[in-house]
Amino acid sequence: MTAMKLTIVTGGLREPSSTRLLADRLTTAATRELERLGDQADPSFVELRPLGHPIMDAMLTGFVGEALQSAFDTVARADGVIAVTPAFNASFSGLFKSFFDVLPEQTLADMPVLIGATGGTERHSLVLEHALRPMFSYLHAIVSPRAVYAATGDFGSPTGSALANRITTAAADFARLLRACGPRAGREAADEDLATMQRLLGGAT
Amino acid sequence: MDSSEATGMQFGIFTVGDVTADPATGITPTESERIRATVAIARKAEEAGLDVFATGEHHNPPFVPSSPTTLLGYIAGQTERIILSTSTTLITTNDPVKIAEDFSVLQHLSGGRTDVMLGRGNTGPVYPWFGQDIRQAVPLTVEHYGLLRRLWREEVVDWEGKLRTSLQGFTLAPRPLDDVPPFVWHASIRTPEVAELAAYFGDGLFANHIFWPASHTQAMVELYRRRFEHYGHGRPEQAIVGLGGQVFMRRNSQDAVDEFRPYFDNAPVYGHGPSLEDFTALTPLTVGSPAQVIEKTLGFRSYVGDYQRQLFLMDHAGLPLKTVLEQLDLLGEEVVPVLRKEFAVGRPTDVPAAPTHQSLLRARRDEQASQPDHEDSPEVP
Repeated sequence: MTAMKLTIVTGGLREPSSTRLLADRLTTAATRELERLGDQADPSFVELRPLGHPIMDAMLTGFVGEALQSAFDTVARADGVIAVTPAFNASFSGLFKSFFDVLPEQTLADMPVLIGATGGTERHSLVLEHALRPMFSYLHAIVSPRAVYAATGDFGSPTGSALANRITTAAADFARLLRACGPRAGREAADEDLATMQRLLGGAT
Repeated sequence: MDSSEATGMQFGIFTVGDVTADPATGITPTESERIRATVAIARKAEEAGLDVFATGEHHNPPFVPSSPTTLLGYIAGQTERIILSTSTTLITTNDPVKIAEDFSVLQHLSGGRTDVMLGRGNTGPVYPWFGQDIRQAVPLTVEHYGLLRRLWREEVVDWEGKLRTSLQGFTLAPRPLDDVPPFVWHASIRTPEVAELAAYFGDGLFANHIFWPASHTQAMVELYRRRFEHYGHGRPEQAIVGLGGQVFMRRNSQDAVDEFRPYFDNAPVYGHGPSLEDFTALTPLTVGSPAQVIEKTLGFRSYVGDYQRQLFLMDHAGLPLKTVLEQLDLLGEEVVPVLRKEFAVGRPTDVPAAPTHQSLLRARRDEQASQPDHEDSPEVP
């Protein structure tokens, strides 16, 4: 059996990053859930902080450097994505949004995605529902029903806390979604464009 | 036989025609100065032994070449040998009848030193300025080009389409020189549909090449070659490929880097973005000695195969005319002669040479000689 390829996109800025911490815990939980159901997980991480300059180069000039291209490829070949961002000003961070703004069209079409966010207080938790979920829906991803928000306070509470429960439940939902969707065949926007041109040429003579 | 026919490849330059402040002096040329500089650059290109001069077409500041055949007609009158082309002619927003007329006249004036590179254009607002709808960009490309081909090939055209008023009993005047239509290149930055269009008609594909990593160009050229064969025009390696490139040279490579960096950093399109080092690592841009330019350019063949036309962008981003003319001297004296020689090494004899009016005329005569009863043989598979 081949393992489910998970790509974890994480937009934390500091070291250590609570965003990366949440991403790690979601990945571990999803892996455990997949294994429990008889599958395996093969996780790859895309950290956005080191890609900050390349993302902006791509935004301004369309130029995609090697590191950013490799991140695009890692997302494109995934069977599922876990995407985690810090909450900034009632939304995702600009860096997180910019990565998905320059990611080639159709990369996330039909992609199961588990979303997560971190923030200073739990008052920002609806950023998941009001910012992340609509963006991923717009990109034609299949967004897992339960999203996970972790406030600074959550990391201080004992294990077995509410956060741990939210992570386990969300990971269980996501694992079922991944299994239901199965291994994913990537889509190329270019293929659809080509089909259009071939159709037009067929009637061009 | 000119030098490009001897080696199969053409070398030349293409200009965008931007009016940009020189970052070293802060001086912005006037539109008039920029247009006159373009003419001087084209004349120098011929003097330096290059084969092709191509101008862009833009309809908004800070660009000046809005009327390419006017510019090329003037250059035709001042030159003897160089082929005049475009980079690109907008097939979407120009009326195909007018394109056919303009290039037909240019062919006659230049004695056949004319071909044309078609592009869709990527500036949205231009479409309504010419009465077109950007949502129809792809259908416009296909319909306009289908009509253009017929105007150049058929004496009397009855035509009906969806996006232009129909034609009844229309005859293009003047007819193409020697009844040989200008060779057509289709240009693309990264659009695979353009490769499909070029392959369908057996036309040339010009990959802009300069903004994108080599892998994009490689994938598009491979697609084009594969589809060229699919549509029955020959084997993949017989398809007609052109590439863009971009260079800045000084004898000492560090001098080239130091002098070019402010132009790179402030250039339209890619300025204020990736570093000069990143950009040179992943795109055809070479900033260095003539030997480095030769080495990098020869490397293009490793990922697109033997090809027919190499055009360099030499005059943008505010580079002063004097510098551009020096660059063209270096290109003509030290780079292109070596490229001609080296690209000819190992080039299979059945890879076609870059098409010219003379070669197309010869092919037409050969075909007529072998098929005396079928003067109007079908062009489209």
